[in-house]
Amino acid sequence: MSRRKLLGVPGLLWALAALGCAATAGAADHPIAIVIHGGAGVIERSKMTPEREASYRAGLAAALDAGYTVLEQGGSSLDAVIAAVRTMEDDPQFNAGRGAVLDQDGFAVLDAAIMDGNGPRAGAVAAVRHVKNPIELARLVMDKSPHVLLVSEGAEEFALQQGVVLVPESYFIVPRRVQELEEAKRAEALRARAPPVKGTGTVGAVALDRAGNLAAGTSTGGLTNKHRGRVGDSPIIGAGTYANNESCAVSGTGQGEFYIRQVLAYDICAMVYYQHKTLAQAVHEEIHEKLKRTGGEGGVIAMDPSGNIVMDFNSPGMFRGARDSAGRREIGMYGDMQ
Amino acid sequence: MSAYAIAIHGGAGAIPRATLSAAREQRYRAGLEAALDGGYEVLARGGASLDAVAAAVRILEDDPSFNAGRGAALTRDGAAELDAAIMEGRHRRAGAVACVRHVRNPVELARRVMEKSRHVLLVGPGAEEFALEEGFTLVPNHYFRTAERLEQLEHEQRGERVSDLAPAPSQGTVGAVACDAAGNLAAATSTGGLTNKRPGRVGDSPIIGAGTYAQNGVAAVSATGHGEYFIRAVAAHHVCAAVEFRGLTLAQAVHELLHQVLPALGGDGGLIAVGADAQIVMDFSTEGMFRGARDSAGRREIAIY
Repeated sequence: MSRRKLLGVPGLLWALAALGCAATAGAADHPIAIVIHGGAGVIERSKMTPEREASYRAGLAAALDAGYTVLEQGGSSLDAVIAAVRTMEDDPQFNAGRGAVLDQDGFAVLDAAIMDGNGPRAGAVAAVRHVKNPIELARLVMDKSPHVLLVSEGAEEFALQQGVVLVPESYFIVPRRVQELEEAKRAEALRARAPPVKGTGTVGAVALDRAGNLAAGTSTGGLTNKHRGRVGDSPIIGAGTYANNESCAVSGTGQGEFYIRQVLAYDICAMVYYQHKTLAQAVHEEIHEKLKRTGGEGGVIAMDPSGNIVMDFNSPGMFRGARDSAGRREIGMYGDMQ
Repeated sequence: MSAYAIAIHGGAGAIPRATLSAAREQRYRAGLEAALDGGYEVLARGGASLDAVAAAVRILEDDPSFNAGRGAALTRDGAAELDAAIMEGRHRRAGAVACVRHVRNPVELARRVMEKSRHVLLVGPGAEEFALEEGFTLVPNHYFRTAERLEQLEHEQRGERVSDLAPAPSQGTVGAVACDAAGNLAAATSTGGLTNKRPGRVGDSPIIGAGTYAQNGVAAVSATGHGEYFIRAVAAHHVCAAVEFRGLTLAQAVHELLHQVLPALGGDGGLIAVGADAQIVMDFSTEGMFRGARDSAGRREIAIY
């Protein structure tokens, strides 16, 4: 693994140097690209009002462009992923940060992870209740602690030590999520067993910067009416979030327990690296064969070191967007790729 | 009836022969034997690999010599904070708990998460709430605390080396992997994590794919070592992917992980694995690893160095 990296780096530097002499800074030296998601699930055109659709599109476009701007200015893929995810955490439409779904006790309990494909290094937090932008705390865990995963009160203690200002639980709670929790509790009361898990609105981003580094980040409130302390796939490195410059970077959204059990994000990258499948082939096999076989639903966004973007899902829809230095810029939400 | 096998570990780390007294070594060997035979008996009676790994890990959790359950390493505020995971390879179902402070046998709670909840991972007070809902009796945190671990914590906090007190205090994670006569694989891991750790820190043990993984037809894996590196390397699943996607033997896959992939990241540790053919692999990049293996072909061994 490391041998390949050692051989690859001087070649890349040489290429960058040669291009740097020939042209001024621009998209020519190395492709840059970003892809985002705002959750997969039951997203059907027939159930969407024009106002809501426009509002989702605006939220996705804001996150996509915030991330792309970082890359365009020569910033790192890590910073681009943070910028995109933070924008969606602050947007109450999405199930992350403000506007996250509520657990059985009525609280927003948040998980996030970030991974740097160069290293690889990673940071994650789970079950935090007072951190405005969990993705930024995940970054601090990666950069400022020797650890990868901090949870609950211990994670918030670390946040305070790092100078992060905590916010009250009420900051995250929006009326729509209170209503959804009430509906879920009513449905639960009507049935002997817990109702099936509803689609999630987890957010995530994957990016490639000019230096050729991949990064991935994911942030979520998890499931409506979830058990206190439940942690899904988003903060689990290899399950909902993974990045490695030698294979690919992935952020997932869907029924997290299935993603954890099949180590979904890493499995895609392992198929790319070891079986030499294209990213699109590996993602297709993972989502439409392996995940479907176990009964799991959801989607992923993924990118390879060349900047190839894949957005795929086996649910009716997935909020998503992609933008790259070849001029592509698109936002989609339904199954027909629009 | 097909072959069956079980392997266990009680942690990897710097275990210099000179610092391990004969009496202490005897204590570790006796603890490992009890766990190995406890798990093996389940398999010999025709039981499931899942029951065998749960039985072996529970015995190691109850033994204060090992860093799991009673006798676990203590956090910087002097509390035991425990993580565990269990996984079965047939349907690839899994359960895990992290940062629990009042559950006597975390591996049993992990199994309950797998069997009675729709989740895989529960953490902190929420996991203990689930334990109560499931009828577990919680124990006070001082049940886990031993004089030896308190002494280690004090030494660590004074910045002294602790290796002369007990081997590998920070890396005494326990685990078991098994293949039963029906060919089903299972893995389980349980730990108190690092001595003097920050409360809320979660290592690789309860992370499915990092410290624990089981996939029928491929392998069951339980790891021990510096958890952060095992998480970044997605270590347990790396071994399975190397076997499944590249056709490496289980021994080759484990060797590559421990002696190439992890060192490149800067990490060390050990790992036990059992393949679909009931072949056992036990390997480590540290000075030693408390371990044991027993199978239906008559092998029965305990080793430290």
